[in-house]
Amino acid sequence: MFTATLRGMLAHKVRLALTVASIALGVAFLAGTLVLTDTMRLAFDQLFGKVSAGTDAVVRAEAAYSQSEGISTSRAPIPASVLTQVRQADGVRTAEGSVSGYALLTDNSGRAVLTSGGAPTMGYSLPADPALRGDVKLLTGAAPSGAHQVAIDATSAEEHHIALGSTIKVLFRGPTQEFTVVGTVGFGGEKNLGGTTGAYFDSATAQQVLGAPGLFDSISVSADPGVAPADLAQKINTVLPDGAEAVTGATVVKESADAVNKDLKVVTVMFMIFAGIALFVGSFIIWNTFTMTITQRSREIALLRAIGATRRQVNRSLVLEALLLGLVASAVGIGLGLLVAKGLNLLMGAVGFSLPSTSMQVEPRTIVVSLLVGTVVTVLAALVPAHRATKVLPVEALREAVPGAGNPTKKRVISGAVVTVIGLTGLFMTLYADLSMKLFGPSLLAIIVGVLMLLPAAARPLASLIGVPLRMRGLPGELARQNAMRNPRRTSSTAAALMVGLTLVVSMGVFASSLKASFGDIIGDSTNAALFVTPSSSQGPGFSPEAIKAVQGVSGVDKVSASGWGQARFNGADSSYSAVDPATATAGLNLRLSAGSVSDLGTTGIVVAQSAATTHGWKVGDSIGTEFAETGKHTMKIVGIYDSKGWISDDFVISIAAQTAAAGPQLINSGLVTLLPGADRSTVQKAITAALADHPDAKVLDRKGFEKEAGGFIDKLLTFVTVMLLLAVIIALLGIVNTLVLSVFERTRELGLLRAVGMTRAQVRAMVRWESVVISLIGALSGAALGIGLGLALSQALADEGIKAISIPGLQVALYVVLAAVAGVLAAVGPARSAAKVDVLKAVVAD
Amino acid sequence: MSATTTIAPATAAARAEGISKFYGTGDATIAALKDVSVSLDAGMFTAIMGPSGSGKSTLLHMLAGLDRPTSGEVFLGDTQITSLNDKALTLLRRDQIGFIFQSFNLLPTMSAAENIVLPIRIAGRKPDDIWVKSIVDKLGLADRLSHRPTELSGGQQQRVAAARALASRPQIVFADEPTGALDSASGTELLGFLRKAVKELGQTVVMVTHDPTAASYADRVLFLADGHVVDEMFEPTADAVLDFMKHLGA
Ligand SMILES: Nc1ncnc2c1ncn2[C@@H]1O[C@H](COP(=O)(O)OP(=O)(O)OP(=O)(O)O)[C@@H](O)[C@H]1O
Ligand SMILES: [Mg+2]
Repeated sequence: MFTATLRGMLAHKVRLALTVASIALGVAFLAGTLVLTDTMRLAFDQLFGKVSAGTDAVVRAEAAYSQSEGISTSRAPIPASVLTQVRQADGVRTAEGSVSGYALLTDNSGRAVLTSGGAPTMGYSLPADPALRGDVKLLTGAAPSGAHQVAIDATSAEEHHIALGSTIKVLFRGPTQEFTVVGTVGFGGEKNLGGTTGAYFDSATAQQVLGAPGLFDSISVSADPGVAPADLAQKINTVLPDGAEAVTGATVVKESADAVNKDLKVVTVMFMIFAGIALFVGSFIIWNTFTMTITQRSREIALLRAIGATRRQVNRSLVLEALLLGLVASAVGIGLGLLVAKGLNLLMGAVGFSLPSTSMQVEPRTIVVSLLVGTVVTVLAALVPAHRATKVLPVEALREAVPGAGNPTKKRVISGAVVTVIGLTGLFMTLYADLSMKLFGPSLLAIIVGVLMLLPAAARPLASLIGVPLRMRGLPGELARQNAMRNPRRTSSTAAALMVGLTLVVSMGVFASSLKASFGDIIGDSTNAALFVTPSSSQGPGFSPEAIKAVQGVSGVDKVSASGWGQARFNGADSSYSAVDPATATAGLNLRLSAGSVSDLGTTGIVVAQSAATTHGWKVGDSIGTEFAETGKHTMKIVGIYDSKGWISDDFVISIAAQTAAAGPQLINSGLVTLLPGADRSTVQKAITAALADHPDAKVLDRKGFEKEAGGFIDKLLTFVTVMLLLAVIIALLGIVNTLVLSVFERTRELGLLRAVGMTRAQVRAMVRWESVVISLIGALSGAALGIGLGLALSQALADEGIKAISIPGLQVALYVVLAAVAGVLAAVGPARSAAKVDVLKAVVAD
Repeated sequence: MSATTTIAPATAAARAEGISKFYGTGDATIAALKDVSVSLDAGMFTAIMGPSGSGKSTLLHMLAGLDRPTSGEVFLGDTQITSLNDKALTLLRRDQIGFIFQSFNLLPTMSAAENIVLPIRIAGRKPDDIWVKSIVDKLGLADRLSHRPTELSGGQQQRVAAARALASRPQIVFADEPTGALDSASGTELLGFLRKAVKELGQTVVMVTHDPTAASYADRVLFLADGHVVDEMFEPTADAVLDFMKHLGA
């Protein structure tokens, strides 16, 4: 049986190649994702490990809870006096305070040195003792000393031609200052720290410009020879005041790595979803291949059964075939995965998420998981067809079987309809009744699954409808239409793969388009601003409050409403909050308070969104327990409830003063500028631009410019998602090729007959081509329709967040459909050629 | 009698001039036809007989433009078809030749009516409805026209094939064992129709058969053996053909 299996597989090389390719592509995506994330993780780990090498223990403030934001937990600073105590502790060779914070470099002409993808721009204290510097190495020049010297990362120096000895401005949270560049810094072999920029100062200067005099973020300690880090930490702990703790350097490295892993997990999950989609689409092709193979081989199988093979042997032989196929394809997929990893990395870079890299990491886990998933998916997809094969009766060996044209069973249609209706009901309930939004995703999924189940029943009428114009193309067109209709199950599962791909692409397109269309309304509704002050790099972390001060001084400007952002625990749940200045907030922001007043915020007040207030039954005057990582628990009193989410999309709004008190000074994210009566907007904009020349971390935009920038970002993301989904579409097209190849093979006699009675080769090719177009259009049109529906549902679901406008990118959708038809033509090239080559005598000579 | 049939181009619907067909290469070469020359008169019902493997089907395929001889020439009417390219040959089959095969004559996705006008539709022309109806009536298929091939008996299927072969008014109809898979009643019906088509409509028909009774419907029988035309017989009777076949050792 086994050799029969092998021989059977090798006999149909094209089918084998196409099926292998369809699984391999899905597996490649999976393997590529794993390789890429492993590589990124290792790159980060190496970076952190090296940077803090040589630090045996770290003294820091205890965090109220570990709230990870980026690579480190937010903590309160510790007083410099602790340093003196630490130095006196047993086993301490040397200890130094370290400070880090926001620092934006500028080049020789005062332009900001921006990072791509919003990577942080940081300033650090450079330890005086080289042992505490870890892998932070001076590459050229000397260590900074005194209030006017800085060392910068080598990448910034090289790319922006900042020579040693030149004087540059560095922007901080506080006032901008000028420094002489005295050195460049590298990190192990790297010239920058994971795409960030770095400015290094001596300890006292760092305290001054990055933090506050008399305070350190943490204290780095190196041990006397022979003292183990754990002992050292323990010894230091005994001398520390309350609220401070000492941990080993390794602990800190591990914490950073864990935090990065958590962030990377988001990336991994996102890629995994795309890989899952690709595999799902691939499984349709496997299903199809096996179904067709079995139909074609039913005589062979019947013969085997007639000469005594048991059902189980037949079944086992087919499952074995699937297993082999899955293994081979997965192995191929792992190889392709390396290419995919490289491609994904480039793609991420192209949309602005540049990541540190090291040599590609292929962990054994990647190989095992990829092999397992690829094989399991293949075998699962083959199980039902294989089971069906066991039902082939021995007598069928003797019958002249016309390849099956099974219609979908009533049962399947009914269950498909039921699933669809459940999905639709769930969708409407979540959107318009108050069913939990948690059921929104499952409802969408139910609709997709339901439609997939219904597609076989719809395939025949759809093919008939789509094929109507083909009638004008004479008999080849008519035959193409009939061929697409004759086996609705096959047609539908071929088209289904394309449908899934297009559904996702189109729904994303509709969603993005609605988002963009709503953007103008959101801004118009929720702000009164004439001009917008934003970070220079659109995904940047924010800008210094100094920029706001500069804008406030421009003539024609009435008020500038600054807002910031942060994370804390409210009522026990992690959430983001916005911070506003109560004095200016109402000028630029249109919060539509239904109760209370923003001016009552003070340092203990909080304004909550209507939706959150409704959920929790909060009203003005109630208290909410909040907790900040830096300072622990606070109680805040609700002073207002606001209705209009938009510019501010968080559930909680506090004052900037409260934020500074609870979490330390932070950057500003945006400033909404209102004008004095009679002031000309473009004149004021020019004046603000001039005023911001000294604050290159911020820029000013009018509303159009702001919308365009936001739209550009949405487009970038959309492109990214579309490119990722393209793989599923490519797999779907391979599926069409596969189906056509098998159909042509199956219809050899018919083709021979048609050729015998006078169909020309060109006509035969046209026939196959049109059939392909019909199949791809079934997939494309149903995918487009479903995608539009889901896109609208998605937009509706986020109506609360301000997506009020609905926009269907008609041209874009039409383009996708046309492209699908063109792809159908391309998919048919090979099969059409082999159909035209069919030997005329094949039909005539009975076998 | 020998294979020196006089060639009369003016009345020949199809003729072969010294055609040979070899299959395979080297030692494994099989000569299916060896320097065969035949002329098939217009308006005549010709049967081709011979032992199995004697080259009957091969000859028919060459004459019908379904395959090309290794050497020699084939004419359909005055057209030399051996050197035509695939497209020209295909159009010639479509417009000038009718076919009835032993089995699998019909497209399973099409109704009987659609199958009958298949070559005409392929050509993108409109069928001559009156003509088609007269053939359908003669074959007694009027009440079967909307049926799919799977819903027809073997005899009905072969009659549909016969209707298709005649629908486009071809110069010549070729049939390879058209009754081979039929019971004798259905076979008789089909042969009767072919005979009528020749007598009443002036159709030229060439048929390969194993069955002496079937051959007796023809005006002329050509005997093949081992790739040669070895003899012929005019106005055959079943008994005479049977005798001759025994003599040939089939
Ligand atoms: N495609 C082919 N390849 C190789 N040999 C072939 C091929 N077709 C026919 N032959 C050989 O050519 C010879 C003539 O075959 P042909 O089919 O013409 O015989 P036939 O007279 O029609 O026989 P039957 O009565 O069995 O149908 C046979 O020896 C056959 O094996
Ligand atoms: Mg034969």
